[in-house]
Amino acid sequence: MRVRTLGLAGVAALMVAAPVRSEAPASRAWVHVRVEEPSRQSKVSVNLPVSVVEAALQAAPEKIMSNGQIHFGRRGRHDVSVSDLRKAWNEVKATGDAEFVTVEEEDETVRVSRAGNLMLIHVDKPSGNESVRVEVPIEVVDALFSGQGEELNLRAGFAELQKRRGDIVRVKDGHSTVRIWIDEGK
Amino acid sequence: MLKMILIGAVAVPAIAAGSVAATGVVVVDVKEARGGQRIVVPVPLALAQVAAAFVPLDKTRVRLPREAEQYMPVARQVLEALAVAEDGELVRVEEPGQKVSIRKEGGVLRINVDDGDEHVKVQVPISLALSVLPEAGGHFSASDAVWALQHARLTEVVNVQGRNGEQVTVTVY
Repeated sequence: MRVRTLGLAGVAALMVAAPVRSEAPASRAWVHVRVEEPSRQSKVSVNLPVSVVEAALQAAPEKIMSNGQIHFGRRGRHDVSVSDLRKAWNEVKATGDAEFVTVEEEDETVRVSRAGNLMLIHVDKPSGNESVRVEVPIEVVDALFSGQGEELNLRAGFAELQKRRGDIVRVKDGHSTVRIWIDEGK
Repeated sequence: MLKMILIGAVAVPAIAAGSVAATGVVVVDVKEARGGQRIVVPVPLALAQVAAAFVPLDKTRVRLPREAEQYMPVARQVLEALAVAEDGELVRVEEPGQKVSIRKEGGVLRINVDDGDEHVKVQVPISLALSVLPEAGGHFSASDAVWALQHARLTEVVNVQGRNGEQVTVTVY
């Protein structure tokens, strides 16, 4: 769970950065990351202007392809190809709010759903004290799937994500909480 | 003749002092703990730059891992973006007995580390950081790096206070 949640947080952290082409004044938008470990009395705050993150993202690949597969559940057990997911996405986004992926395993449940203008990814442990919440605007998913074949268009996704104001990721496990969000403040 | 000698005796030190003041001086101030010795070393930047120019070329090459080297242009872009960004606290780490803070104020990055009884304050002008960032091939100019301290005039670049009261400061005037 921890590796997965940190992985998701990492991906989300990359996703929150974007080229400065937003409707909102991008120069004033900041990306915030908070990591707290109450058991260690540890707090880490990182606040970066979007323009700085954008510059850092020059190192990121424009497109990614993980053997054409996006992994759900345990690796190799519930893989879905990007092209299949793109087709599904095109169908699903026309249907409005819906829960369109549910993976229930012994140790965790993954749900991917749409609520209004947001795609919600929820990962929960049965114990209830470990969870991941990812909220991604629909436009970001559209932009990610604007690639061809088995490619995800990361840069386009980044460009859309920077328009978001509010939480992107919340991760809670037994030891720590991670929150990533974008707002206009420092 | 005596008049000429007197004028020379006054003018030469005055010109030298003026030149040093114009080009800058780095002052390293070391205070030992518990009323021990105090050593103050003023180094004119111009002199340090001349000395740096004699550093052999192979000594001005930083051995960076290939992965790190490819990120140098990105690091440069990040610093350039940071230079024009709004001021604010970029990083804060709080753990029992330890605090780390990195703030951007104007063109300066202020790094404060409080570790129990030890305190470290570093103020790095972003233009200075850009100057010392290795170019392609891990090469940097020692002379340019020293001269870049010009960007830190009237700045206490480093202040380290030890747990026993010892203190080291590096100030650029």
